[in-house]
Amino acid sequence: MATQTKASAQRDNPKWEMVVDLDRCTGCQACVIACQAENNIPINEESAFHEHRAIQWIRIERYWEGEFPDVKARFLPLLCQQCDNAPCEPVCPVFATYHNNEGLNVQVYNRCVGTRYCGNNCPYHARLFNYWEPVWPEDLRNQLNPDVTVRTRGVMEKCTFCIQRIRRATRGGEPVEDGTLQPACAQACPTSALVFGNSNDPDAKVSRLKTDERHFRVMEHLGTDPSVTYLKQVDVDG
Amino acid sequence: MGLTRRRFLQWAGATGIGAVVFNGCRVPDHEIQVQSPVQIPEDLVTGRDNYYATVVQGPGSSEGLLVRVMEGRAKKVEGNPDYPMNTGKHGLRAEALLQAAYHPDRIKTPLRRVAKGGPFRPIGWPEAIAELTRVLTEADPSRVVLATAPIRGVLADVTRRFADSYGARLVGFDPLDLTVLRAAIKRVFGQDALPDFDIARTGYLLSFGSDFLGTWLDPTHFARGYGEFRQGDRERGYLVQVDSRFSPTAAAADEWVYVTPGSEGLLAMAMIHTIVSDGLGDDAAASALTGGRGASALSAFAPSAVAERVFGETGGGAERIRKMARDFASADHAQALAIGGGSAGAYANGLFNLTAIYALNHLVGAVDPPNGGGLVFNPPSEEPRITAAPLREWKQLISDMRAGAIDVLLVRDANIDYGLPGSLGTREALGNVGTIVSFSSFLDETTALADLILPGNTPLEEWGTDIPDPGPGYRTVAFQQPAINRFNDTLSFGDALLETGRELGFGDQLPWATMRDAVRDTARALHESGRGSVTQPTFEEFWKRALERGGWWDMNATASAASAPPQLPTAAASPDLAGDEDQYPFFLVPYEAHGIGAGGFAHLPWVQSAPDPITTVTWATWLDVNPTTARELNLHQDDVVIVGAPNGRFIHVTVYVNPATPPRVVSIPFGGGHEHFTGVAAKRGANVLDILADTEDAETGALAWAGTRVRLTKTRTRVRLPKLEGDELAVQLPGEEVIEVQHVRR
Repeated sequence: MATQTKASAQRDNPKWEMVVDLDRCTGCQACVIACQAENNIPINEESAFHEHRAIQWIRIERYWEGEFPDVKARFLPLLCQQCDNAPCEPVCPVFATYHNNEGLNVQVYNRCVGTRYCGNNCPYHARLFNYWEPVWPEDLRNQLNPDVTVRTRGVMEKCTFCIQRIRRATRGGEPVEDGTLQPACAQACPTSALVFGNSNDPDAKVSRLKTDERHFRVMEHLGTDPSVTYLKQVDVDG
Repeated sequence: MGLTRRRFLQWAGATGIGAVVFNGCRVPDHEIQVQSPVQIPEDLVTGRDNYYATVVQGPGSSEGLLVRVMEGRAKKVEGNPDYPMNTGKHGLRAEALLQAAYHPDRIKTPLRRVAKGGPFRPIGWPEAIAELTRVLTEADPSRVVLATAPIRGVLADVTRRFADSYGARLVGFDPLDLTVLRAAIKRVFGQDALPDFDIARTGYLLSFGSDFLGTWLDPTHFARGYGEFRQGDRERGYLVQVDSRFSPTAAAADEWVYVTPGSEGLLAMAMIHTIVSDGLGDDAAASALTGGRGASALSAFAPSAVAERVFGETGGGAERIRKMARDFASADHAQALAIGGGSAGAYANGLFNLTAIYALNHLVGAVDPPNGGGLVFNPPSEEPRITAAPLREWKQLISDMRAGAIDVLLVRDANIDYGLPGSLGTREALGNVGTIVSFSSFLDETTALADLILPGNTPLEEWGTDIPDPGPGYRTVAFQQPAINRFNDTLSFGDALLETGRELGFGDQLPWATMRDAVRDTARALHESGRGSVTQPTFEEFWKRALERGGWWDMNATASAASAPPQLPTAAASPDLAGDEDQYPFFLVPYEAHGIGAGGFAHLPWVQSAPDPITTVTWATWLDVNPTTARELNLHQDDVVIVGAPNGRFIHVTVYVNPATPPRVVSIPFGGGHEHFTGVAAKRGANVLDILADTEDAETGALAWAGTRVRLTKTRTRVRLPKLEGDELAVQLPGEEVIEVQHVRR
């Protein structure tokens, strides 16, 4: 009985985390575009890539190993790691970024004054700065998600784990059944490489996977204590 | 009195704002209370949203979708969890359907050219239908052609009925058609529908040229299986990708086996030789494949005889082939499966290659195995479908156009001016067509030559059905419904045909007032069958429930058994590449671009801006060149080269030095180099179709799009490629790996 109560309490006080299984990931970009659509991310024109200022809340890093014929291309979906010990948080002079009680590293757009200190301090390059006023052709504005603020020039932005979906799912106060709440990236991912859930729920898939024998966290030695756990790609030798 | 900075600070220091601004070390508790995290920073809108189920079809794909709609506007596309093909997932092209619907460069109203070669003027729909009716009434039906992108379902039925009733010639068009694959499936298994591949339950997957995780057929569907293949509840599957190019599927594979372009069939035959001679496979199948003669019938394919042709300078030898054969036929893993397509079928010997590849399945029991994991056949479609005609047919058609034998060309998303090989001279031929009528939503290259444009709807705005091909292994009918109302003064292609048909006086053959009525007739037949995933007492209840679920499927309606294995050829077919090796030293292996495909999605900004998974390049066309080759030719990243083909045609392309590109191979993605097709696509990159030789698969006549050799000539121009990757190649540093890997012994 006591155990049940404890489990219930953990479910009621969620800690949102993600697991990325690199052995499933094919680098297909479905997550990237789903995120663009859900979160009103400006269209990345050609110039944005030239200037390395493209805004992607989740991006697929591709790393080469070797050269033909013994060559590998490895993919790493990289998003805000929602660090529990986030280097971006203490450097914000206006408290535009803070940690909430659900484990999310939250960005308050209307507080942000654009010092970019947080971006400088993020080892994952997960924070993106709006160097320009985002512009959509008039017709394309019809697609914008009314649940998500359009950020203006001079504001820092980043992955929120689709906080608008979390708020919708939890608004009634009922516990969220595992798997029913997904950020846009995990929802789209064709191989189910991205798994999202409440790690305070011991029965959640994310809780089980984050302790899988293949688990690691990107640049863990920095002590950022990320909420995103990766599962290693498997290489079969011999 | 102005508010100076000093005065502001004095004022702020004495107020609550100052308490925040200057309290630097900590956030005052009361402020956290006031601006609680409950409503920050998302600025929630709590309006009502609706979700509508629909479907979008491609030449080999079918994705069931849920469209989130608020206040009549589509906000988000999501996968339909109920639909058997994608079960809740979706790819980036499906997501970008929103941008097609709301594209600023859509054709917003019917257009009629003022005079031949003159500008367009907007007209109303009554005038547009009347004009089309007049053109068709005055024309000789035998000199009228209706060209369309491949279609399935009700729209295919309406289109075919219209063409047959009028007497027009109906031709399907897809730059990278599936003719060779269909012919191979028919020859090897006796099946008319494409099979599904049960990748999730496969233990050993051998893929030849088919980039099934990137662009081949239905990547979203296959990726669902792939995730389980890797880390499902079974032993991890093993993937071998045989390919002359390093595709996303090759990147995901446990082994990437480079083979000389066009030799995929040779490798498969050599594997069959080993399996048969070593008695590793099914005896009955081996006997059928060899005409009862055993390995002696395949002596031309002994591994020692073909290894050098297969592996070229990379070595490997006969023993590597034998090992691949033994691994494939081994009982140590779960079900083995061989699949092939893409470039493997895009040579003059394409059908030979795919026949050999799919024949491997007969030897290892992969033909509808009882425990899953192999080929799953689909029931033949009872509804008509329009597939793409092979290049051979299009050559004849272009020749007829050039000769002035075509009076009227009706085109619907068949961008032949862009998508046929440049050497065919399609534009000049189109100049001799009396009247061109386009039903496209966008001003693509062919539509730009039209005399009359009746702009169609985009997939989120129209009615239809889809019978997926390949399907999931049982009869499936998806319903397409307008998730949003028409955003412009457009009309669906089907409705335009129905209306014109009535004007022309053959309403009997087209017994529906609208496409919605035609879809309801399909639904009515399904309701009356009393079978399948949706059964309801009344038709109206059935209609509502089927639309809610996105379709109807009957898991008991499966395919007939495959035919007996065919006898295999005893001699190899040659890939017959265009160009001699001395003058044109490089194999050109083009490929469907990850986002923009063969050019049909180039108008969508999200798709253009999605980085190519391998190179991370966006918004451009590039040439993959091996680093050693680049050094030998003094080529550097971002150099522009002239890629010249034996037919004298050439394009300018920017170099991407790709560590995974084989030394004698260069690759260019399809899809760039549009002259028109919206401001997003126009004047961007190069169209590799412009330089391809018009070589055909010897048997089917399909375009051998990987059958051209090229040479490279450096220019003095450099154009920086827009890409996600930095200016330096992103590599894993030994001992400092960002991405950790678990090594296991096989």
